[in-house]
Amino acid sequence: MSNSEFVRVEKLNRVFDVSKPLLNRIIERQPKRFVHAATDVSFSIAKGETFALVGESGSGKSTVAKMVVGLLPATSGTVEIDGVSITGKHDRAQMRALRRRIQMIFQDPYASLNPRWRVASIIAEPMLALGIAKSKAEAQHEAGELLKVVGLNPLDGRKYPHEFSGGQRQRIAIARALAAKAEFIVCDEPTSALDVSVQAQILNLMRDLQEQFGLTYLLISHNLAVVRHMSSRIGVMHFGKLVEVEESRALFKNPRQSYTRMLIDAVPDISAATRR
Amino acid sequence: MSETILSVENLRVEFETRRGTLVALDDISFSIAKGEVLGVVGESGAGKSMTGAAIMHLIPRPGRIAGGRILLGDQRIDNLDRTGIEAIRGRRIGMIFQDPLTSLNPLMTVGDHLTETIRVHLPLNRRQARARAIELLEEVGIPDPAVRIDSYPHEFSGGQRQRVVIALALCAEPELVIADEPTTALDVSVQAQIIKLIRKLCSTRGTAFMLITHDMGMIAETADRVAVMYAGKVAEIGKVSQVVGAPLHPYAQGLMGAIPSLDNEEPRLRQIPGSMPSLTALPDGCSFHPRCERAMDICRQRAPALLGAIDHKVACHLYEREEVAA
Ligand SMILES: Nc1ncnc2c1ncn2[C@@H]1O[C@H](COP(=O)(O)OP(=O)(O)OP(=O)(O)O)[C@@H](O)[C@H]1O
Ligand SMILES: Nc1ncnc2c1ncn2[C@@H]1O[C@H](COP(=O)(O)OP(=O)(O)O)[C@@H](O)[C@H]1O
Ligand code: SF4
Ligand SMILES: [Mg+2]
Ligand SMILES: [Mg+2]
Repeated sequence: MSNSEFVRVEKLNRVFDVSKPLLNRIIERQPKRFVHAATDVSFSIAKGETFALVGESGSGKSTVAKMVVGLLPATSGTVEIDGVSITGKHDRAQMRALRRRIQMIFQDPYASLNPRWRVASIIAEPMLALGIAKSKAEAQHEAGELLKVVGLNPLDGRKYPHEFSGGQRQRIAIARALAAKAEFIVCDEPTSALDVSVQAQILNLMRDLQEQFGLTYLLISHNLAVVRHMSSRIGVMHFGKLVEVEESRALFKNPRQSYTRMLIDAVPDISAATRR
Repeated sequence: MSETILSVENLRVEFETRRGTLVALDDISFSIAKGEVLGVVGESGAGKSMTGAAIMHLIPRPGRIAGGRILLGDQRIDNLDRTGIEAIRGRRIGMIFQDPLTSLNPLMTVGDHLTETIRVHLPLNRRQARARAIELLEEVGIPDPAVRIDSYPHEFSGGQRQRVVIALALCAEPELVIADEPTTALDVSVQAQIIKLIRKLCSTRGTAFMLITHDMGMIAETADRVAVMYAGKVAEIGKVSQVVGAPLHPYAQGLMGAIPSLDNEEPRLRQIPGSMPSLTALPDGCSFHPRCERAMDICRQRAPALLGAIDHKVACHLYEREEVAA
């Protein structure tokens, strides 16, 4: 396995059955209906790289992301991390070891943080579940250290998620991913719900951590400026298909697909202010 | 000088709480001219939505206007009673909110929404109202409007639903539209279409817009002037070329610097340290001082006033002295 293929996604497909119930179909004489949310999606990501998926709403980005982390079964296709297939058969210990290496961060961190747990316990949980920490005390101590790493105060560990702002919650979600000693983090619209000022803080943090821990990212965003800023390579999705995969700079300079061109041209541009 | 549609003068909004009086808006002043788009930007909690709510008499309890005046044309509207403001809401001032799904009733067709609203505000019969509704859908760029008028909201895409909401806001041909984060939930491609639509309405109908958003790209492409808000105050206001292109206030500079752009190759984004203070813990002096790299002694003691020329004002001690000297 070469270094350029730390993550390898091959011919991923996902079909959703959106048919009406059988009886309705018979009465209305309608065929079954399917949504092809992902069709033959293939790409690979090198270790320490940030690969981004862009595309309009409904193009299939989140569907691919969920299959890559194993939250959604694929209709067909394979995902390999460091040469190990996550779609293949594993015993429980192997599966647990794999799960640990892949973590996901969502647009709404609140939905993914248990509201009844204190933040320190939320961060300590994967360490205990995965056997990374030997004892509760060790896990709690580590949680405090991780809060520092993501720019919060260890004392914040005593609070509950609702006591934090959106940006702080995203930091907590990142700390939890680090707690699992994740190597590959899938980020689905991690800053879309945040103010630009907070977005800048989170994006800078993601970059710092990538350098510090050698993290590999799959970044999903509909904000092309964010994607341009963060990623070395970009895949463009359109109606469930990956229509273009290109090195980031080249993609913006010289998109091969007219669809990509349209996406780029549609980006509202702050330099317009000085032109008008 | 062009005709002023809205002027807000020294607006103050307070919340009476057990812990004392919270000042949500403090001495807010701005105006919007006919056919003009005023962008309102700032981090969440800055008071953008509250400003829109104050104009529409929609401040949540126990908040209230504690000072200042709001004028629509030359009519004072901040002191109107309920029937008075209801005659203006939807008729002379249209509203667009962030989430198009919550502003549309899922059980009503798009046509029902439009004709009902049109008939509340304009003296048209059912058939005339329907014809007007189809025109409006056409105007906001819904394809095949004569057919789509009978569709339900869920049968439209997110962008199309937002266009329907815009069409609703335009039903009664209002002089002013207050749009609170109208494109936040939408794709860039749809956003670009909405931007075009707003600009078209300004030039063809002379509609004035108050465009509340935290998307600076949207402001740069759409607004004529922009107000930057921070902790319930206006930090800087002026032409978009000045405030977005060459901001003076350190907070405005920080905001603009934090935006990733397509041609910026810097590995790190500029960031403003810390976060916006809550209303219960507003710092003394300039409320931005704990986050400001250029804060001076005076900044901790005295709040700066919003000063400058008519078309570009800034509230910052860095510029106050120049002002006195000039
Ligand atoms: N559980 C589901 N059942 C049926 N259809 C689904 C389901 N999940 C997703 N889809 C459909 O699959 C397609 C891709 O959806 P997906 O959520 O991957 O889009 P996305 O690119 O992430 O969009 P967004 O930018 O809006 O998040 C869409 O047509 C969507 O309606
Ligand atoms: N119902 C309320 N009671 C007390 N304070 C409120 C209420 N609603 C909003 N606020 C406060 O008013 C300020 C401005 O809020 P808002 O106008 O919603 O900000 P923005 O739209 O700029 O994000 C915030 O500090 C917010 O916490
Ligand atoms: S008044 Fe002082 S603290 Fe406030 S923005 Fe200006 S320099 Fe910074
Ligand atoms: Mg998605
Ligand atoms: Mg708001």
